[in-house]
Amino acid sequence: MNRRIAAPLSPEMNIFELIDKEPSVLSIFSRLDIRLPFGDMSIEDMCRRDGYSAELFMILCSMHTNPSYRPSMGDLSADMLPEVIGYLRASHHYYATYMLPHASAHLEEILEHADSRSRSVLRRFYDDYTHYIAKHFQEEEERIFAVVNNAAERYAADFSVIETPHTDIDDRTNDIASLITKSLPEAVPTSLRCAMLKDIYALRDDLRRHNNIETFLLKPLVELYLKSQA
Amino acid sequence: MRRYKVAIVEPATVIAEGIAAILEGGAEGDIAGIVHSTTELEQLLRTTEVDVIIAAAALHRDLEACAAIEDVPVVGIVSSLVEDEVLRKFAATATIYTSGEELQRLVRRAVDAPAEHNYAESHELSERERDVLILVAKGYTNKEIASELNISPHTVISHRKNIVHKTGIRSVAGLTVYAVLNNLIDSEQL
Repeated sequence: MNRRIAAPLSPEMNIFELIDKEPSVLSIFSRLDIRLPFGDMSIEDMCRRDGYSAELFMILCSMHTNPSYRPSMGDLSADMLPEVIGYLRASHHYYATYMLPHASAHLEEILEHADSRSRSVLRRFYDDYTHYIAKHFQEEEERIFAVVNNAAERYAADFSVIETPHTDIDDRTNDIASLITKSLPEAVPTSLRCAMLKDIYALRDDLRRHNNIETFLLKPLVELYLKSQA
Repeated sequence: MRRYKVAIVEPATVIAEGIAAILEGGAEGDIAGIVHSTTELEQLLRTTEVDVIIAAAALHRDLEACAAIEDVPVVGIVSSLVEDEVLRKFAATATIYTSGEELQRLVRRAVDAPAEHNYAESHELSERERDVLILVAKGYTNKEIASELNISPHTVISHRKNIVHKTGIRSVAGLTVYAVLNNLIDSEQL
């Protein structure tokens, strides 16, 4: 049984202890632009220093380390919305400027070993995939994130804009992994395949966390925000 | 991705409600009903179409005798000792310690798997599945494929489920790449 028992998180927890237990939360620090070093600071102290809600930080850490975690409405307040949007925007930026180009560079290395037909069809598939993601991000930013400055008022309640693309992106990400694992010609070295697969699985897992945050945190926060504005 | 309807057959209310909450949290499935026995399940299946059943593995004898299940995949929930031979009869199995996310994936896989799940012997596409795949790659709709191959749209859907299961590829664009990489179609035909 590979069930992992998630360590209980608390605002009094020392930040180093948190990172040491759950190194994956490091991406939250960079996306919220929280400065290091921390010394012996607690989560609560760090959030106070950098002007973030400790409650929200705890929710993000919990959603990051436990994919089944869902925040309850009682833990949420409308004023968390700008911070969450800031976090999601930073994630979009990270995917667009780091994770996708990184995987793309590995794909180009792979394609050097493939025949021209495989090269052309795979490159086109990956390019379509990245364009689809970029378009989806743009749509979210214009239709949902912009709600805080009323620019997306008429779209704000319509979260259907994100549901189908999230599933499509997850499917296509898995498809890339399947094609590289099962169908690429033998001439492609295993080491290059593994490097690409590592990127793709990291991207898939990060996008899944991102989608969970949009569905189970952003959506209720937007609803709370709209109620508070009504 | 199509939403699925699930029936839960579990004598223990806490476990049944927990499974329902997890699946509803996953936002991919709707709970068609929670029942506590296969007798109640038969009544439910008379009025409600379901895509997948989640049942206590301990009910395996009753499940075997329940004709109304037909070819609906059953995911077994193991909370006590059950022999391997019995477990193999389920489309998938989970335990009461399985994480919510893993359970959601198992159920989704069981829904998407072909109706007869004794496919483990071969992941090779059959000739008919290859014909369907080629037409999918060329952009044909299910209706057009059915007409071209002179089969029912339902059979096309069944072949497509098998193709997805065997190739591990879900998107049409990915299946197109698969068809080209496996020399089933020339990229110029796209």
